[in-house]
Amino acid sequence: MTTNANEQTGNYTKTLLAGLWKENPVFRLLLGMCPTLAVTAAVQPALTMGLCVIFVLICSNIMVSLMRNMLKPHLRILMFTLTISTFVTIADLLLKAFVPAMSEKLGPYVPLIIVNCIIICRAEACASKNPVLMSIIDALGMGVGFTVTLCVLAGVRELIGTGKIFNIQVMPGSYVPWAALTMPVGAFLTLGFLLGLVNLISKKHS
Amino acid sequence: MDTVYILITGFLSVVLINNLVLTKFLGICPYLGVSGRIDMAFGMGLAVTFVMTLSGTLTWLIDHMVLMPLGLEVTRYVCFILVIASAVQLVEMYLRKFFPPLYDSFGIFLPLITTNCAILGLCLFLNLWGTDSLLEAVVLSVGGGIGFTMAICIMAGIRENLQMVDVPECLKGAPITLITAGILSLAFMGFAGII
Amino acid sequence: MRSIKHFFEQSWLLIIASFFFGLLIAVTNAALAPRIAWNATAKLNALAAGLLPEAEKFAPLDQTIDITAPGGKPQALQLYQGKTGGQPAGWIFIAVGSGFADKIELVVAVDAKFEKLAGFDVLSSNETPGFGDQIKYNYFRDQFKGAPAGALTLINAGEPATIDEKIVSISGATVSSTAVVRTISHYLTQVKEQMQQKGLIQP
Repeated sequence: MTTNANEQTGNYTKTLLAGLWKENPVFRLLLGMCPTLAVTAAVQPALTMGLCVIFVLICSNIMVSLMRNMLKPHLRILMFTLTISTFVTIADLLLKAFVPAMSEKLGPYVPLIIVNCIIICRAEACASKNPVLMSIIDALGMGVGFTVTLCVLAGVRELIGTGKIFNIQVMPGSYVPWAALTMPVGAFLTLGFLLGLVNLISKKHS
Repeated sequence: MDTVYILITGFLSVVLINNLVLTKFLGICPYLGVSGRIDMAFGMGLAVTFVMTLSGTLTWLIDHMVLMPLGLEVTRYVCFILVIASAVQLVEMYLRKFFPPLYDSFGIFLPLITTNCAILGLCLFLNLWGTDSLLEAVVLSVGGGIGFTMAICIMAGIRENLQMVDVPECLKGAPITLITAGILSLAFMGFAGII
Repeated sequence: MRSIKHFFEQSWLLIIASFFFGLLIAVTNAALAPRIAWNATAKLNALAAGLLPEAEKFAPLDQTIDITAPGGKPQALQLYQGKTGGQPAGWIFIAVGSGFADKIELVVAVDAKFEKLAGFDVLSSNETPGFGDQIKYNYFRDQFKGAPAGALTLINAGEPATIDEKIVSISGATVSSTAVVRTISHYLTQVKEQMQQKGLIQP
């Protein structure tokens, strides 16, 4: 009995940590690139987007996992899409009500979470085959991994691009900011180089 | 004359100045995935243009004829994605049955395009930009597709040449494509402010 | 009959889920919609109060002004009148133009006689941080306070302290500065003409 419980907890920790490095949604699976490039000009919007994705992931995974035995195979993508779009609508309403400044900054990229491949892939690969607790843990792992990636990218872009992080001045006053990093150019270049770095590190480790 | 001016500036804006891929970051997944060869890139671009025009028009109609008059704007996202998914499904079935050669040339991309953020993104942008006539919605949707096609074909041309160059091991594949896209978007930034 | 039964068998979950999700969205919307509406007016009121500090409240005008927006489309502009103790204290309207990155929304304040600008503030913009963003800074905005309410011109070098119709652009942010000056000029000339026609101000 104890070995079974230990194995279960081991499984949970493995799933939780997988989203952070080995199956990192942005760097390894190359999913969800659109919001990664769009909202990472500063750390605050990146964090807000990450929290939204965690919320939608958890809610939709719970819902799909509860329905998993009743899904008809040829209608399941439709069900997933319906579930995800409902929760994204709710997340958008919550943002507009409680953090209107962030909602304006994120703009149309919040509804684009609906077509974010991470969420549909997790619903298809994990939530439709596993009980509720495992789905929640998987959603947490992927969501936190995504948020951490977004924040790292945003941190680099905001620090070098404006000299501030979270609107707090970090670089000394004489620092001339590389404003290009806050523009689309910077988004592509930073993600490209960070991806290359991650590839280099994982190749050295394997 | 005014309408023509608005349409032309809108079209140029979506194709060059606010290019959907290089400034609005829409459609990056297929952009990275399918830009390996020019013929595949062109096929993908055409498919995206077709689906974009269709969905842009349909969602604009539904938005202005059903959602806004009835005050149901809060269901906008759900309606849009369902309309897009069903439209793409119907188009694929229709093509496969009645135009097999056309299906063979770009039908394989169609299921990929449903989750392409470019389509939903354009429908939402049409709403954000306050398009108030059907003709403008059609022109902007076609423009969005043409902008995407242009960006992906340029990238395919560059990537075909990159294959003959010594790219560092860790940068092969997605990283070098992203860096190239960055330089492309820098070039397209030169168009800012011309309207 | 059989095909309807078959249809329901296949899609009962879809139908029930649609109702449930629809209910969820409706409840959330009903709960949050007043707050969302309040957020939108709160920002406008805060910025307007900053531009016209002597006004006690701002009331929207009953009739809208018909002008052509910078893109060429006809627009029905909503004017707000600031009042102090029943006397008009100034006019407020929202001007929208396209800047470097995306569209720029400005709150423009004009004095009661529509002769001088009381200033402007940025309602929303997505300009480059550190460069185009400087249109929000005081040293650029102060040039507009007291400028004549009409067509303004942008110059590259000059005295920012002299208040006239020439505005010195921000170095490194020409497109954003041009966008602001062009948008404000466009709106001011049209609104003034329309208001004189409607008799809201004296020519």
